[in-house]
Amino acid sequence: MASSTTSNVYIHVIEDVINKVRDEFINNGGPGEGVLNELQGLWELKMMQAGAILGPIDRSATQKSGAGGPITPNPVHDLNVPYEGTEEYETPTADLLFPPTPLQTPMQTPLPGSAQTPLPGMAQTPLPGTAPTPLPGTDSSSLYNIPTGGTPITPNEYTSTNENGVPEVKAGPGRPSPYMQPPSPWINQRPPLDVNVAYVEGREEGERGAPHQPTTQDFFMSSGKRKRDDLPPQYRAGGYIPQQDGAGDNLSEEDNRPEDLKMVQEGNQQMFVQVGTMSSRIPQLDGPIPDPYDDVLSTPNIYNYQGVVNEDYNIVNTPMPNEMQAATPAPVQNDTGDDDDDEPLNEDDDDDLDDVDQGEDLNTTHLVLAQFDKVTRTKSRWKCTLKDGIMHINNKDILFNKKSVTIVWLMGISQATGEFDF
Amino acid sequence: MATFELYRRSTIGMCLTETLDQMVSGGILSPELAIQVLIQFDKSMTEALESEVKSKVSVKGHLHTYRFCDNVWTFILQNAQLKSEEGQETVDSVKIVACDSKLLTQ
Repeated sequence: MASSTTSNVYIHVIEDVINKVRDEFINNGGPGEGVLNELQGLWELKMMQAGAILGPIDRSATQKSGAGGPITPNPVHDLNVPYEGTEEYETPTADLLFPPTPLQTPMQTPLPGSAQTPLPGMAQTPLPGTAPTPLPGTDSSSLYNIPTGGTPITPNEYTSTNENGVPEVKAGPGRPSPYMQPPSPWINQRPPLDVNVAYVEGREEGERGAPHQPTTQDFFMSSGKRKRDDLPPQYRAGGYIPQQDGAGDNLSEEDNRPEDLKMVQEGNQQMFVQVGTMSSRIPQLDGPIPDPYDDVLSTPNIYNYQGVVNEDYNIVNTPMPNEMQAATPAPVQNDTGDDDDDEPLNEDDDDDLDDVDQGEDLNTTHLVLAQFDKVTRTKSRWKCTLKDGIMHINNKDILFNKKSVTIVWLMGISQATGEFDF
Repeated sequence: MATFELYRRSTIGMCLTETLDQMVSGGILSPELAIQVLIQFDKSMTEALESEVKSKVSVKGHLHTYRFCDNVWTFILQNAQLKSEEGQETVDSVKIVACDSKLLTQ
């Protein structure tokens, strides 16, 4: 809670700010006095709820309490609100009045070591969207992006605005859905065992004009398999070749269609090898070196729904179409993770080890904002002279002036060995 | 005039920022005007602190992290003791952000 002196200073600051911006609000087509009063009222309201201002403010008791809403002018003692010191940048008002947003990361963006300069030049806070504003300015500038989602009231949207790009990712989960649908029609159209034909038809349908289908299939089969597009028409012309088990195929059928198979194979489609017996008869041209994805996809059967991928034509890959259908979501999801087959790259491991991050995450904590006059160090002993600062410690605000603060730190360096003691 | 946006991270600064955000989101206030308010806040806050008289405060602790970048010192102290007239506070961790005072006078 604030002391009376601190509270008075804050009130003074608020009044000073309001008075100085009044001209801009009223003149030159500004929003007007009403908006200004509302601003002041809300500001003071939040300050009271945060405990930074004590008691009713005399001049504003009538106006501001009205503008501020239902909160009585004794909010300092609103102990019902557990003002959690840990959530330094989240005024209890937000938590009280509004449901916490999912993006409730308390102002982490400005904190992480942002030694970004509040240099004089940066006072020209760039208008919405531009990121590189220093320190607190970071959030203030992003605020005026008019956050797309969520209630505007929620102050936690600071971070949400920073994550405006993130929602795009959310489209990801939706992606499987289009992929799900197209396979079903063409699969249903054919007897389940006939993978290739179904695929062919699917191709044709895709060619005819379902735009999403080709992409769907590409997605499933990876780039290497797009080459199938060349085959389907030819393939079709020759009827279809049963794929399930190569050994059990009718020889008569084989006899009838050797040429077709040849054509097919010349198309470099490994998939069309399918029937093992056929392969023994027909000279085969090896396809192009399969894409890495082909190999990857070939290992689990779910990717082999077309019987392709394996260069070893004698191997029978006969996943049921039902399986394929069920499997469709899997490739959709797994493909994104294909980059690391076995394990994640563990790129996040260092995050926990980073002392800096740890130190700054702890910062939910206590904060001192000031200007420094001098910073010196003698061996392991640092000495800083600060002035004109605000300390926020244990939920209390303490202001200090020049010549009033001298800080002496001891750094944990052993003088003898020079080891760091963290 | 150059200002330090440093104080926007304080309680009072955050309250103001939230209020402005609320009003801009509600379309009551234009972003440009909100920025001007914040700049004015920077100035007023700096002036107020200059005129504010406080007792001496000293801080001691274990320096966990120090950083000097873009003329801004950032320290993280652990097990810090802050002594002031009002009493002594002990905190596990405190972050100190300090801007160069000479920049304002230049």
